[in-house]
Order: sequence, then C-alpha cells, then structure tokens
Amino acid sequence: MELTDGDLLARVLVDGDQHAFGELVRRHQSPVRGLLRQLVRADVELADDLAQETFIRAYKHIRSFRGEAKFSTWLYRIAYNVFREHARKRKELVGIDEEQLQAEADPQTVDPGLRHDLMNALANLPLHERTAVTLCCQNGLSHDEAAHVLDIPLGTVKTNVLRGREKLKKMLAAWAT
Amino acid sequence: MNDPLDELLDARLRDETPYIDDAGFTAHVMKQLPRRRVSWSGQRSFIILAATILSVLVAYFASGEGMFVHDAFTRMSGLRPLQLLLVIFACGTAMTIAGLWAALTRRHDTIV
Repeated sequence: MELTDGDLLARVLVDGDQHAFGELVRRHQSPVRGLLRQLVRADVELADDLAQETFIRAYKHIRSFRGEAKFSTWLYRIAYNVFREHARKRKELVGIDEEQLQAEADPQTVDPGLRHDLMNALANLPLHERTAVTLCCQNGLSHDEAAHVLDIPLGTVKTNVLRGREKLKKMLAAWAT
Repeated sequence: MNDPLDELLDARLRDETPYIDDAGFTAHVMKQLPRRRVSWSGQRSFIILAATILSVLVAYFASGEGMFVHDAFTRMSGLRPLQLLLVIFACGTAMTIAGLWAALTRRHDTIV
C-alpha cells in the first residue's frame, strides 16, 4: 500500500527519515517545477534552481508545517515566496512596469505564430493573472487555496483568474476561427 | 449552461500541463539537504531519563536502601484524610497547569 503524504511527513518529523522526504520531493517535483516555469516564463534552468531552493527550504522548516493546509499547498506557497525573493533581487516584480506588462498581455502585440500555443499565451499574461490561472486551472487548487498561497484576498484571486481566462479565451477564439 | 469556449479552455489547460520527468532532480535536492543530526529533543529525553535513574539509585543506597520511602509512606499514612486530599488536589492542579501551558505554547504553521 502506498504511503500518504502524512505518513511520509511523520517519518521525516519523528525519525528524521531523509528517504521519506525524498519520496515527497519525487511526488511533488513536477507541479512545483511546472508552476515555477510558468512564473519565470519557461526559463527551465532558473525554474529548477528555484524549485531546489523550495524543497531545501521546506526540509529545513518542515517542523513549522502543522497540517493546516495540504502539503502541496504549503509547498506552492514556499515556491511562490522563493520566486518573489528572486524577482525582488532582480527588480522584476509585478507592478514595477505595469505598462510593459499590459503591452505583453495585449493579444495584438503577441507574435501571431504563438497564438496556436496556449502555453505561450499563458506565458504572456501579466504575472498576477498567470499565477492565479496556473494555480487554479492547471494545478487544480481552489480559489481559497490559491489565496492562501499568494497571500492575497479571495476576491482578488477570483478577479485575476477571470481576467486571465478571458484573455486566454480571446486568444483561443482567434485561433479557433 | 457552460460556455463551450470555457470547456475547451479548461480541457486544453489540463491537457497541456505536462508531467515533468524527474531526471535526477530529486537526487540533486537530496545531495543538498543539510546533514541529518541526532535531534536534540531525543538526546534530551535520554539524558533526563539516565539522570533520573542514576539519582534514584544514589538516593536509594545513600538512604539505607530505601528507608526514606518507608519513612515517607509512614508520614503519609499519618495524614488526616483532608490533608491527603489537599496533597492530591495540589498535584493534580500542577499537572493540569503544565499540560495547559504546553498546549497553549504549541506553534501554528509558519510561512517560510
């Protein structure tokens, strides 16, 4: 019988079992790396570096996880914080150049060749919409869980998902016709 | 009724979420984890237990092979029922306070 995340966490906490933590990394590496790839616009190497930092930080602070949220949600939150710290260092955080971000989001300015690819369309959304759509529509988090991960109000998450989806639908409609 | 474009978008988003192959990622993370240390809480429990056993043994032999226990029971049996009840109540209260303190100081999830 396969062990649950809770069983593995108990082994890490009680016995300091690093193999159990390794199994947790194996289980959650794909969605965490996928989220970070979306956040850093498909820079695979950078996303993997941030994902490694995410898991190392999770291991160091594993005793602060009390099971009040799902383990995956806790990991997404750490991943998002790691990304934000990185973005701050590089001064790439959203809001610094909102005009440029809006221009990136305008379907008219996107290379027509990219319209066929939904992932590229997603990568061209402003960061806050891209993150919300990725968490809720791709990774399957509820709006509540996404609000917890992003540390923003529930209403803001809903708005960002709605706006992001509307933009994607426009691109999809253009592609479909 | 759901917008067909919404359904198409949901399906595409789900379908285009690729599984990222591990390809050595987990092994790389494991290499960078801090070395496993024997936890201080485990060591502390062992030290306290060993010190307790040692203290009991020393007290036992130093007091004429447990005469102090005999004396204590003799004194306890000489107490009035009300005094005995007070002693029991005091011990129970001290244990309750210690338990409450431990429960209230338990930390919640923290953001890292």
